[in-house]
Amino acid sequence: MLNRAQQPPIKITDNIDIPRPKFINLNNGARLLIINEGDVDVCRVDIIFDAGSRYQNKKLEATATASLLAEGTAKYSSHQIAEYFDFWGSFIGTRADKDFTKVTAFSLTKYLSQTLERLEHIVKEPTYPTNEVDVWTSRGKQNLTVELDKTSTLARMELFKCIYGENHPYGMFAMPTDYEKISSDNLLSFHANNLGSVGSTIILSGKVSDNQISAVVKHFGETSWGKGRVNTLQVEESSPTLGKVFVSKPNAVQSAIRIGREICQRTHSDSSDLSILNTILGGYFGSRLMKNIREDKGYTYGIGSYMVSLRDSTMLAITAEVGAKYTKDALTEIWKEVNKLKTEPVPLAELSKVQSHLMGEVLRSFNGPFATADSIIGLINYNNLDYSLHDRLIKSIKHITQERLMQLANEWFDKDLMVECVVGPENPF
Amino acid sequence: MISFEKFTLDNGLKVIVHSDKSMPIVAFNILYNVGSKHEDPKRTGFAHLFEHLMFGGSVNVPNYDDPVEQAGGENNAFTSNDITNYYLTLPKENLETAFWIESDRMLGLAFSQKSLDVQKNVVIEEFNQSYLNQPYGDVWLLLRPLAYKVHPYQWPTIGKTPEHIANAKLSEVKEFFYGHYAPNNAILCVAGDVSADEVLQMAQKWFGPIPYRELFGKIIKKEPLQTEKRTLEVTRRVPYNSIYKAYHMCSRSHNDFSTVDLTSDILSNGKSSRLFQSLVKQKGIFSNIDAFITGDNDEGLFVITGRLNDNYTFLQAEEAIDAEVEMIKTEPISDYELNKVKNKFESNFTFGLTSANEKALNLCQYELLGDANLLNTVVDSYRMITNTDIQRVAKKIFATTNCSTLYYKADNTNQ
Repeated sequence: MLNRAQQPPIKITDNIDIPRPKFINLNNGARLLIINEGDVDVCRVDIIFDAGSRYQNKKLEATATASLLAEGTAKYSSHQIAEYFDFWGSFIGTRADKDFTKVTAFSLTKYLSQTLERLEHIVKEPTYPTNEVDVWTSRGKQNLTVELDKTSTLARMELFKCIYGENHPYGMFAMPTDYEKISSDNLLSFHANNLGSVGSTIILSGKVSDNQISAVVKHFGETSWGKGRVNTLQVEESSPTLGKVFVSKPNAVQSAIRIGREICQRTHSDSSDLSILNTILGGYFGSRLMKNIREDKGYTYGIGSYMVSLRDSTMLAITAEVGAKYTKDALTEIWKEVNKLKTEPVPLAELSKVQSHLMGEVLRSFNGPFATADSIIGLINYNNLDYSLHDRLIKSIKHITQERLMQLANEWFDKDLMVECVVGPENPF
Repeated sequence: MISFEKFTLDNGLKVIVHSDKSMPIVAFNILYNVGSKHEDPKRTGFAHLFEHLMFGGSVNVPNYDDPVEQAGGENNAFTSNDITNYYLTLPKENLETAFWIESDRMLGLAFSQKSLDVQKNVVIEEFNQSYLNQPYGDVWLLLRPLAYKVHPYQWPTIGKTPEHIANAKLSEVKEFFYGHYAPNNAILCVAGDVSADEVLQMAQKWFGPIPYRELFGKIIKKEPLQTEKRTLEVTRRVPYNSIYKAYHMCSRSHNDFSTVDLTSDILSNGKSSRLFQSLVKQKGIFSNIDAFITGDNDEGLFVITGRLNDNYTFLQAEEAIDAEVEMIKTEPISDYELNKVKNKFESNFTFGLTSANEKALNLCQYELLGDANLLNTVVDSYRMITNTDIQRVAKKIFATTNCSTLYYKADNTNQ
């Protein structure tokens, strides 16, 4: 007789084979990683430059330089470039974050060499035509204006500003008027000085063979171009503003809540254990915050806590959009959950559930070639491709204890060192 | 080529297995043939609310998430106008936990009042977060009832209004469950490092004993042919004017569906597409423009939407869109352009099949449309489309009397 009340026996994953793609040092100072996986005929090329907004002289320079790469080269107009990639069914994504500029090309494997041929032009010799810069700035200004109408955007910006300081490279945000100050010359110079071959990393992932590898080497591995960055300096110290920030948004039906602080970097010995504590607090569906504030009280559609990792800093952020009338109560419950972690040991049943869940998460981060590529990119962001990050995390998941978690909660979850930001119709403070 | 095996259990449950030894995790996907189109017009948002309640415990398993997490799994679900889909990914050793827990909630739910009360609240906050607290968030609440007068696509899956959700009663929830959740109304797919034999065995063990159920046999009324131009103008506190034009189109299983899909790609897939090049880059009338199809299983919508630049009026914007649409109807597109959108489709489609869960979901969806193997023939069927097809279909769709237009006006006062 089938016993439906009894869960079938489960096995806890304990040995995870983390893919470690070998890398090839190319003649021009770049390096190439190959992740050959998958059963459908598509592939992806990522080119990563140490060229984020932290290196810019003017707001938006890095973003504009990346976003406009495909808008004109010495040989081809913006329209010709767009036609070409669309014809071969390729997608090109170019963007800058605070630390890096990433160029990504998605291509059918059979057309990769065609894709790379034009990709080489846009990466190495963009011209930033004035009319294209104008279209980009006017669209960008509009899009940002719409973004700034969202409580969630405003709250996120406040949190970064409070944690790092609004003049810090990690706490700085562009406003619509900054779009007017960008010129073609700024972008040419940012490109020439930051997006060079030396120090860049190229990742080829998907279903590929030797043909695709030699095509990448041919277009991006032989001659050198531009100036790159080999030794990255640490970002300057943050200058946080602690306390509570409220931004009024009359008529909003929900309040956006963001709570957080800067915590230890991923190289720190507390980091991997701390990520388990974060998971318990708000890092998965069964977390304390979700169980209490969504599944018991129904104040929100979703609440979570995250460790946001930048190259030289990591921050903890608790985020939620809650019904406006529940704002105060939601804050009270968030702090209740934080305090509980400081004063009561995490029950063993809950701990073992989190351990299994996290091992599953590690497996899921290698679900297909592109998930694997994303994981590897995460490692580049972390200490230049140091694989020990995964090993330390797996070790932490296996050996974490109740005592250690409580100790970490007391060390890192100090309310006085956290910033609370709320954007909504009514001030809860 | 995505290989698979297919079985049907005695109780009507369809089971599909895709074996792929390279996957580190296995995906378990179960699709129920119930969506917001099966709802009572006075009780909208129910299918989606129900999806939330499916996580509130079942007859033999008091809590859904804990055992799944204990097995290293992750799960989620979504509701559309046509279907409700539940999926898990977990380490392959623990696959049986998925069979155990999913079969139990097909067998019967716990139906707790507390769970209903909380999830009503959660869904109302979802309504707020996604529809009411976003600039332009209520567009679909306005556009759907303008375009549909009879068919239940006239409301979005979240429902017409938060009140419908607030009024849901436990008795209605039970009725909904037994009328729609049944082995004979579901398709299951397992994808990953598994064999067809072991999956079939587990399916028989856990789902086999669940009896076949009589379903709500409600017939969904077809939307009558639209015969007059429809317009609606609203004013909202948003920064810029926006326009939305929705044309009726064919159903997902109609022969012309792929042609209509490619037509939307000609207009707006990629930076070289017509609307973007002409109306954003060259003429500067819009800052953003998009054309897409809703892709519904029943007769859906072909939507063209754009956000206007400050110096242009709605009239100018609409004339510019109409001129582009007219061109598709009157001038045959070149082989080059047709080839371009076909390549683009192949690439897009193939990129959607790179993880275990994407494969499992797609196999279930194509099986619902008639045959899981359509997944392997769809690219070829798009390759067959000709320029004459595009022109013929464009003439059918792009008529003023087939169109509903929403003028979404920015109120810039007090901002």
